[in-house]
Amino acid sequence: MEQMAPSPAVKQLLEEVKRNISWEGFPADKLEKALAEALSALDSVKLHFLENCVGCAACAPACPYYYVSEKYGPVEKAELARYMYRKEGTILGKLLGPLLNAKKPQSEKDLDEIVEAVYRCTNCGACYVSCPFGIDSGLIIKGILGSIATKTGRAPTLIAVFDVIERKKLFLEIPSFMYIWNEVMKKAEQALGKPLPFDKKGAEYFLLVNMADAMFYPDAVIGAMRALDRAGLDWTLPSKPLAFRPPIAAVIGLQKQAKEMIKILDEDISKYEPKNVVLLDGGFVYPWLRFQMPKALGRRPSYRVLHIVELFEKLIKEGKLKLRQTDDKVTWHDPCQLARRGGVTEEPNFVLSAASKGFRKLPHHGAESYCCGGGGGIGCMNMEMLEQMGKLLGVSSKDLVASDKELEFIKKTAEHWSIAVKRKIDDVKKSGAEIVVTACPVCMHSIAGGSQLYGLKIQVRHIAAYIGEHIE
Amino acid sequence: MGYLGGSVTDVYSFAVYYFFWVAIAVFAFGAVYRIAKMVLFWRRVVKAEPRNRGVGAWIIGLIRTFVDPIIFSIKTKPHDFLAGMVALHLVGVIPLIFLLAHHVAFFAYWFSPYKIIAETGLWIPLSVTTSTLTITSPIEVKFVDSIWGPLTVVLNGDVLAILAILGTAFKIGTKVMEQIHGLRHVRWSDYFSLGLLLFILLTGYMAARHSTGTVTMDVGTYRTVLGLHILGAEVLLMLLPFSKYWHIVFGYWYGKLHEWYDLRVQKGLV
Ligand code: SF4
Ligand code: SF4
Repeated sequence: MEQMAPSPAVKQLLEEVKRNISWEGFPADKLEKALAEALSALDSVKLHFLENCVGCAACAPACPYYYVSEKYGPVEKAELARYMYRKEGTILGKLLGPLLNAKKPQSEKDLDEIVEAVYRCTNCGACYVSCPFGIDSGLIIKGILGSIATKTGRAPTLIAVFDVIERKKLFLEIPSFMYIWNEVMKKAEQALGKPLPFDKKGAEYFLLVNMADAMFYPDAVIGAMRALDRAGLDWTLPSKPLAFRPPIAAVIGLQKQAKEMIKILDEDISKYEPKNVVLLDGGFVYPWLRFQMPKALGRRPSYRVLHIVELFEKLIKEGKLKLRQTDDKVTWHDPCQLARRGGVTEEPNFVLSAASKGFRKLPHHGAESYCCGGGGGIGCMNMEMLEQMGKLLGVSSKDLVASDKELEFIKKTAEHWSIAVKRKIDDVKKSGAEIVVTACPVCMHSIAGGSQLYGLKIQVRHIAAYIGEHIE
Repeated sequence: MGYLGGSVTDVYSFAVYYFFWVAIAVFAFGAVYRIAKMVLFWRRVVKAEPRNRGVGAWIIGLIRTFVDPIIFSIKTKPHDFLAGMVALHLVGVIPLIFLLAHHVAFFAYWFSPYKIIAETGLWIPLSVTTSTLTITSPIEVKFVDSIWGPLTVVLNGDVLAILAILGTAFKIGTKVMEQIHGLRHVRWSDYFSLGLLLFILLTGYMAARHSTGTVTMDVGTYRTVLGLHILGAEVLLMLLPFSKYWHIVFGYWYGKLHEWYDLRVQKGLV
């Protein structure tokens, strides 16, 4: 595809995003506001996470970034939030200050430290299950620290761009995005050999294909459609994307905006009156739509939310989906958001066992699965991604970076990712698998990149693409 | 007028008859404060439909929630596990506090149902050879006939105190090392908390071993050391709600049960 020139919408978008981003300086007023907002959103669970850490560092080896440096252990990163909480939210902290590690950020360097903690955390939840006290450091880091970093101007420009594209539905106005979408739909139609059942009302299954799904794994979109079609289900999909990767605001810690996006998405989906909404994305989209949505809406949605792998399991068990079993040496990588944060751990094993006699679990799987190191926005922080997105938006990669300091930060993040991913690659190596199947675009990108880096020859596939090819 | 009547004549009587109540009051206030704070911050939210994996999975999930971090710690930080978990918690401080014969007698004095530990024989003796309580008791050297059987060789005050002292000293050493490495979670208050624990263990050990081997104390010194031991324990009781020690009373149990509910019951993680 030819590179597109930037549309006026894109230019305006970049200007708007950059107005809120500044990687330099110390905006004391913005910090105060961000801090007050973070404290006002505390509940008893977050209070437990902030107050009951004993600093044993038992969680440290769980974290993919601990292997980059011990200063990236979960407790180390979450401590930055505790510093502020103690100073602002506790009487003893106010009285005894430094004795209790109670202090507020004072300088540009302090803010740099915060943003570094945020982008050395994938929110994988491995620290949560390995903490003897059930403390979810990831939630504190990506939630509280993330919102403070973004609101004081330190957000990766590219993710902020995606956020605005999503919330303003600008993807509909960006020609290259719509080109990709239409191409995928055209190919799907060819694969199915009949028109796609767009925009039906009241269907049993609504396949929520988002913009990112079409962009990152078109073969999975097509595979899912083949499966729904062959199983003879009453299904539909939107003729145009409803969101980019909802709610992408959550990746940069903008909880309020993420909730607003969820509300908009719910309204859009509800118009189709579906009984079930099926997701392809096993990244943060899954726990947000499956578990956070009722909280955001203040009621349960009128439909059930399930991931395509859950639907596959059901269809295979009911005999509606028949697979051609192979001998592929295949394994499953649990995306942290689908497994640890979403509880979907058994279904993929069942589905892949049905697809191949050569299926094997990774040495660390399910609740103990190793994180790929790419989540939480880290996967977006590399030159390759900037260049690709620059091309699609019709701008140079430099336009997607606010300053030299941000660029340096991105390079350092990518370097650290290359260390963090190694543990996962070693685990895959041990399994002897030749195909790694998973369900999250970031995991796919991270594992494929990591295996290239460490000389492991494997294929990385989305489960819907893999199963799509195994249908009898 | 003597100390048995309850007036303050030395550190010991001050700790037992006077400061005890101060410590209880501060602890009660702190505990109520912290629990009230949790209740106050509770927010009603609409929950998603839980993934139902059945009661069996819930029970296994509950066990795994408590056990998994222990296994993880054994695998990833064996030295920390041995010092922190085994020496300091499992065989050190916890049995020592709740089961040592001296403590059973002391607790039962204030809270008579605690006698059940003595009656069921669950108490652990001071040493493997003697269970004499004070310098004034006739000293008999014989193997203790404890419910713990041969386990008494390990399950006795001497061994446990030494393990607990080693564990606590190790934790203090770890904190120093972590601070040298520039890790930011080490707090000055950590040294106070652990130092206090070490002080209690050392004075307790000294008081308990007042009459054997090379160390012999007169009654006055004994009362002072024991008084300091009890005073230290009372300060620790006061500190419980305001420090990391809150985990024993509340944080640990709440945290694990919340995690179990969130991940295993609600999300169905197996
Ligand atoms: S978060 Fe948990 S495991 Fe980590 S240091 Fe704190 S208490 Fe220990
Ligand atoms: S959530 Fe994952 S990446 Fe973040 S601190 Fe915890 S273990 Fe590390």
